[in-house]
Amino acid sequence: MVVDGLLYTKDHEWTKVEGEVATIGITDHAQEQLGELVFVELPEVGKEFAAHKEIAVVESSKAAGDVYCPVAGKVTEINDELNTRPELINEDCYEGGWICKVQITDKAPLDDLMDAAQYKEFLETL
Amino acid sequence: MGVLEISGADAEPFLNTVATNNVSRLQAGRAQYSYVLDAAGTVLDDIIIYRQGQTSFMIVVNAANEPKIEAWFDALLAGKAVLDVAEPGRKLECAPTIRDLRDLAVGDQARVDLALQGPASSEVLVRLAGEASMRGCLTNLKSFAFFEASLGGIDCLISTTGYTGASVSFELFVHPEQAPQLWNAILEAGQSLGVLPCGLGARDSLRIEAGLPLYGHELAGPFGISPFEAGYGWAVKLDKDFFIGRAPMAQGARSYDLQVARLEFSAARGVRPVRPDDPILDGQGACIGWILSSARAGKSQYALAYIARAEAREGNTVGAYYLARSASQVQQGRCERMDKGQTAEADLAGTVVGRFAKF
Repeated sequence: MVVDGLLYTKDHEWTKVEGEVATIGITDHAQEQLGELVFVELPEVGKEFAAHKEIAVVESSKAAGDVYCPVAGKVTEINDELNTRPELINEDCYEGGWICKVQITDKAPLDDLMDAAQYKEFLETL
Repeated sequence: MGVLEISGADAEPFLNTVATNNVSRLQAGRAQYSYVLDAAGTVLDDIIIYRQGQTSFMIVVNAANEPKIEAWFDALLAGKAVLDVAEPGRKLECAPTIRDLRDLAVGDQARVDLALQGPASSEVLVRLAGEASMRGCLTNLKSFAFFEASLGGIDCLISTTGYTGASVSFELFVHPEQAPQLWNAILEAGQSLGVLPCGLGARDSLRIEAGLPLYGHELAGPFGISPFEAGYGWAVKLDKDFFIGRAPMAQGARSYDLQVARLEFSAARGVRPVRPDDPILDGQGACIGWILSSARAGKSQYALAYIARAEAREGNTVGAYYLARSASQVQQGRCERMDKGQTAEADLAGTVVGRFAKF
């Protein structure tokens, strides 16, 4: 499933840009590949990340995967609920399973991201 | 799995030379766990030998090791392999017939292996056979035993072996061209009993929880783990006069410092999973070994670890340390690897549990 209105990376992160704030998560394709998630390492609030830096780690029983920050920004909010319910990412990756929000410090990397139609096309090439 | 047939008057002496267990003690209709070693004692594979008759055996080898084992047997039969380091001129004095039973060229006798495991599996076989007598056959069958039967018109060898730890478990050896038909018949007959297809990952979780070794992980592999360290010294019969690798095994049986142990950790919400290579720590935080395989099962995660023998007693409390999983964790000071004796603070407490579990 791919949702319109979001931006996507080739590493299967999604981001929703609202003004200066970007909400970040992993896509349906990513959660499906990982299987049932059992642990999410969330970033610290206040920490700054350059674009493409590892911002979180998602782990299933069988695999661990890095989540890369699609933009440059400073973490303003994290989804604490994932500490006790990592499976929220499996159940609802685009809404309840969001990972963190960042205050965007550089919008330029957003230009490299795919829209929903482009990401759908990209998935078909895999 | 690879399936080979070893037959002829020389089959028994051949298997007693190339495998560690004693085939002479194996009765027809029974199966035996064994190891194939080279002359240096390196484990080439762990295998199961099925005795079909006085001069006829079937052996099941790991799929990934089959080319290596076939090449090894060919080299032995051609007199091109060293049998005994102490006596390099020693030659194999037996010449059995060896056939790859997965090869369709062998005709009707070609066989592949389907595993049907778990409590409902007997009932599925009874339904497939369509004969009440099947129930009696299965009930009286010991572990590591087999018989030939027809399941809905498909000729099978049914054996009580498997790789899941399930106390009711079968492997079905069937002609490759009939395997899809049998597979579908099992799913159909077993639907109301909850029978499901099981992929390799799910099978791996089961064997880890049960404590069963996987070649390359709990056996051989980067640590060169011996059968004794893996907990299977009983399958190496040092009372046999000779088998390939006997001298290094006799040495290894006496002196080893680490062994495979089964560990249990919490899998409560929010607990990070342990992973292969994560270090195991003693009460003082010193590294005593490493995780080889791990899996989650219900509220626990089970790990098979290669740890100091002195720490491997059941009930002992140990710690696990999460190695860095990403570059950012390394930057935060998390170790990427840990040597024996190095100290760290444990991230998660665990317990040594019994080496094997049955379900």
